[in-house]
Amino acid sequence: MIQLFHLFKKYGPHIALSDISLRVAKGEFVFVTGPSGAGKTTLLRLIFGAEKPERGYILINSVNLARISRSKQAFLRRKIGFVFQDFKLLPQRTVFENVAIALEVTGEPTRWIRKKTRQTLELVGLDDKEKVYPLSLSGGEQQRVAIARAIVKAPVILLADEPTGNLDPDLTREIMALFGSIHQKGTTVVIATHSRDLLEDVAYRTILLQGGKLAGDTCA
Amino acid sequence: MRIRFRTYFAKQALADIRDNLTVHVLGLGTMVSSLLIFGVFLLFFVNISSWIHEWGNTLSFSVYLKDGISAYKRDKVDAFIRQLPGEKTLRYISKEDAMVDLKETLGSDAAFLNRLSRNPLPASYEFFFERGKKHDLNPKAIKEALTELDGVADVQCSEELLNNFKAIMDMLESIGFLVGGLLCLCVVFIMTNTIKLTIFYRKTEIEILKLVGATDWFIKLPFLLEGVIQGILAGGLTLLALVCGYLFFATKEVHFLGMNSLDLAFLSFGHMALLFLISVGLGLMGSVIALGRFFKV
Repeated sequence: MIQLFHLFKKYGPHIALSDISLRVAKGEFVFVTGPSGAGKTTLLRLIFGAEKPERGYILINSVNLARISRSKQAFLRRKIGFVFQDFKLLPQRTVFENVAIALEVTGEPTRWIRKKTRQTLELVGLDDKEKVYPLSLSGGEQQRVAIARAIVKAPVILLADEPTGNLDPDLTREIMALFGSIHQKGTTVVIATHSRDLLEDVAYRTILLQGGKLAGDTCA
Repeated sequence: MRIRFRTYFAKQALADIRDNLTVHVLGLGTMVSSLLIFGVFLLFFVNISSWIHEWGNTLSFSVYLKDGISAYKRDKVDAFIRQLPGEKTLRYISKEDAMVDLKETLGSDAAFLNRLSRNPLPASYEFFFERGKKHDLNPKAIKEALTELDGVADVQCSEELLNNFKAIMDMLESIGFLVGGLLCLCVVFIMTNTIKLTIFYRKTEIEILKLVGATDWFIKLPFLLEGVIQGILAGGLTLLALVCGYLFFATKEVHFLGMNSLDLAFLSFGHMALLFLISVGLGLMGSVIALGRFFKV
């Protein structure tokens, strides 16, 4: 599903990732952990194709990200959901519109988009807030909108960057349960987190990054 | 392209215009002003060309006679003109008639003519050939033959005046193209900046659209449509303003170069279509340039 080969990435003089090689199988649930600045976000952004490595290459479903055109990359992104640390919601659009935007780009019929969006909002427990604007939601609710947008297109891969970073323990459990249910449906889930508590609660494969290097890869 | 996509693009383009209404209204106003200058020039040019063309359909001569010309010599000039081929209208204007004509033309400004000690105006023959006959004639040869007649002081031919006017019109045409070109550049510049502002306004949304898998064209098309809509509006408003202006002036008597009241012509369908297409084309060009320069996601 996801294969990384000798990835190197740097920002100016700072080396963000150094010689990272790993493989995530289809349907796996993986945590990427490590201290701040370890390269977790960079790794996820490289897998998503938001950035390019200086060296090495990435295969997603055997497709080399370095060799695909911009339009093909756009089509590939429709199969990958990304939950951003800062949510990246549009404040001038309602919750419904923020989620539906991921389907708008596919050109599917409006009726189908409405149905799928409502189903997804129901799944994340926000069906009563579809007409509300993101800024009037709590942090946890905004996080769920971001998750809804990532999963509404039924992605084969779900990447989440610190999805519980700003949430209290109850909300964290709620969100993790949501990721669990998405994983149950066969989606490959990769979550970047620095929270040790989160890792203690669950029994999934954990990849440890330190200083941009692979420091451990454990199947718990 | 699927119908839903098309409605999405149109909706998005209209939403962008609504969200940046002030910028678009200002841009539209400047576009209309620029196109209006161009349109007025086009209208002026079309009318002058039509008048000159109409004028050019007749060939006229003014043969000025020397003062104190004998009746015999005058009869010879008269006979020469009458024997010229083709149907023509001939009129003899005596010195006295010429003065009366001049006074009528000058109207209230003619008072100074009464103070002249003698009538300085020459007697003349004015004749013109009927419409459609001029192409069989050689104006240059007729003028030369008339000039050589004894008692003739000067000969003026409409063809020469017409040629002079054509030279002026050619010059005006060149100036028109230059001014038109500059105005087009101005419109493109305005449109580019209008779209640039919309791109900046939607920067976050564009970023998110890219992240959820939108293709470049999916994001770019509403901006292109925005330029086209702006062009359509500017073209339509310009034509409307030109029609209103034309209807206002068409009800008034227009005099040009001392000629009698002239009929004002409006732009032909071809000219209107050209103006409209230029407007739409410039709007689209502005969008294309803005996307090329500022669409970096």
